[in-house]
Amino acid sequence: MRLVVDLALRDLWRQRIHLICNVAILAGVLVPLMVIFGVKNGVYDALIGQLLNDPATLRIETTGNSRFTQDDVDEVRIWPQTGFATAKTRSVFDFVNVRREGATAKRDAVLVPSGTGDPSLPKGVTIGAADAVLSASLARQLDISAGDTVQIFTQASERPRQLMLPLTVVAVLPDQRLSGRSVLADIAVLDLVEAFYDEYALPDHGISQGRDMAGRVPEFEGMRVFARDLTLLADLQSRLESRFGIQTEARTAEVSGILSLGRNLNVALLLTAGVASLGLSAALIFGFWGEVARKRQTLAALALLGIGPKRLWLFPVVQALVSGAAGLCVSFALFFVAGALAETLFDSALTAQGGLVVLTFGQGLAITAATLIFVTAASFFAARSAAQVDPADVLREGAT
Amino acid sequence: MTACLHLDRVEVCLADQERQFTLEIPTLEINTGEAVGLTGPSGTGKTLLLELLGLLRRPGTCGGFRIASDTHPLDLATVWTGGPMSPADVRADRFGFVPQSGGLLPFLNVFENIALAQRISGRLDEDWQAHLIDRLGLGDVQRLRPGALSIGQRQRVAIARALAHRPAFVIADEPTAALDPGAATTAMGLLIDVAVTGGAGVIISSHDLNLLDQFPMRRVALSLVSDPGAQNAHSRLSISEAAT
Repeated sequence: MRLVVDLALRDLWRQRIHLICNVAILAGVLVPLMVIFGVKNGVYDALIGQLLNDPATLRIETTGNSRFTQDDVDEVRIWPQTGFATAKTRSVFDFVNVRREGATAKRDAVLVPSGTGDPSLPKGVTIGAADAVLSASLARQLDISAGDTVQIFTQASERPRQLMLPLTVVAVLPDQRLSGRSVLADIAVLDLVEAFYDEYALPDHGISQGRDMAGRVPEFEGMRVFARDLTLLADLQSRLESRFGIQTEARTAEVSGILSLGRNLNVALLLTAGVASLGLSAALIFGFWGEVARKRQTLAALALLGIGPKRLWLFPVVQALVSGAAGLCVSFALFFVAGALAETLFDSALTAQGGLVVLTFGQGLAITAATLIFVTAASFFAARSAAQVDPADVLREGAT
Repeated sequence: MTACLHLDRVEVCLADQERQFTLEIPTLEINTGEAVGLTGPSGTGKTLLLELLGLLRRPGTCGGFRIASDTHPLDLATVWTGGPMSPADVRADRFGFVPQSGGLLPFLNVFENIALAQRISGRLDEDWQAHLIDRLGLGDVQRLRPGALSIGQRQRVAIARALAHRPAFVIADEPTAALDPGAATTAMGLLIDVAVTGGAGVIISSHDLNLLDQFPMRRVALSLVSDPGAQNAHSRLSISEAAT
């Protein structure tokens, strides 16, 4: 085998003009495909990345006044489309005052139901019934950082005392995550506020007057639900609306549009690659086959000297693989040049987000493997033809 | 090593839609260390006989086709029926070829072309190769590729390559047909001399009876036994004449 490989390489080097032709054919097809693929990756990934960077993209909010029980929320939580779900209390009670424990400065803020697993929270942050996560704006205005204790308090006109709840700040959200002044807390905190407004007695919080909490059946006005991923958002929204007969709000149209764009780009790319592959396969198959026909005397001489068909088929395959490898090297080099040129020519915000023309290492490996398999397959006919070379051709050449 | 290539009642047939050609070899023996000249008019199957001897054509009927040897006997009929050695293996091991065109590989230089037969057979012998290069006067051109050689030089390279792996038999098909008379005599002389002194048996086909007459060799001839141009042509090998 080594001898045949050596001879094939020697012959290929001598006939390098043919090698250059095959490399040019390969690069002529591969480079445009790789650039299109790279652009698709760069643009589409940037758009998807923008969506993914904003957890609100996954959020579905119920609208209007509905009535949900904790069982309803638990049911939604176990749906395969659901990433996170929590109940919402009546929005009229969402506004509270906030201050750092021991400080006098206070700010009003929106109380947002949250919990462990909420995509709005920083990764790894868990939130319990006595915890809170603050928006960056609120934390900055009150000079609060993670680990501090805050007091949220609220006052109802009919109640002689205000409700004051101490909460431990477990995290502060980054600026772009949530605008305005917000406190993310467990639904238990919001439920307590709602009970306070509903004039229930809350002796644990120093409010002894009011209705007995034992007779209260917790009900929620809405739900705050997050899809597990972008592709499940539309499904989840549709299921929520049909299951509970409600209206919801989500960025489904925007997400569906971008997902559809990705699918369409993939289809266009596949079609282009398919058509290009057909042309390339024809060029390579007949190219390699023609090479064997042209080198029939050389191959026949090798067969005459004792290299049988079981080894001779390797001759064109080795040359095809080397041509493929050289074609890939040239294609990748030209791709990077074209990519750099595109980044320079097009003034795009995408460049700052990871590049306009993007090919991952894994995709590069896949392209390499696919091309080598493709080239090897294209050399099949040449290999078969080489194995069938008649060594007697050498004797018959010029024989009378 | 002494050996004898022996054929007994062998027939080989070529057929297409228009014509059938049968070559009959009643008996033929080629011993190592001897030269045999094969003559016959065009169309009598000289190349076909050489192809048969070199295991490039499968015999039809076969009374016996073997290499008789004290040390390495081989029934050549078995190479076509899944024996331990394929025709290519036997060619690499036992035969050397000198085609009319030289059959050199254009991407190897003279030295590498000659060494190729040794590499394929696995019998590397630098001293023997150096001797052949020297004996055939190829020292000055051994780093050149075939494209840079004259036709006479190419044939000498082909002779060296045919003998490089010390085959038992050398098959030469019109080895001097493309050479001028002087070069042909030189090349033929070298082929016979180097082959026979190297211990190989050599069979040489040629139209040039005058050239063959200049060298000591046993002669065999092919002749048509059917009408020329017959649809079923038949040619037979016969002992032609005594060696000169």
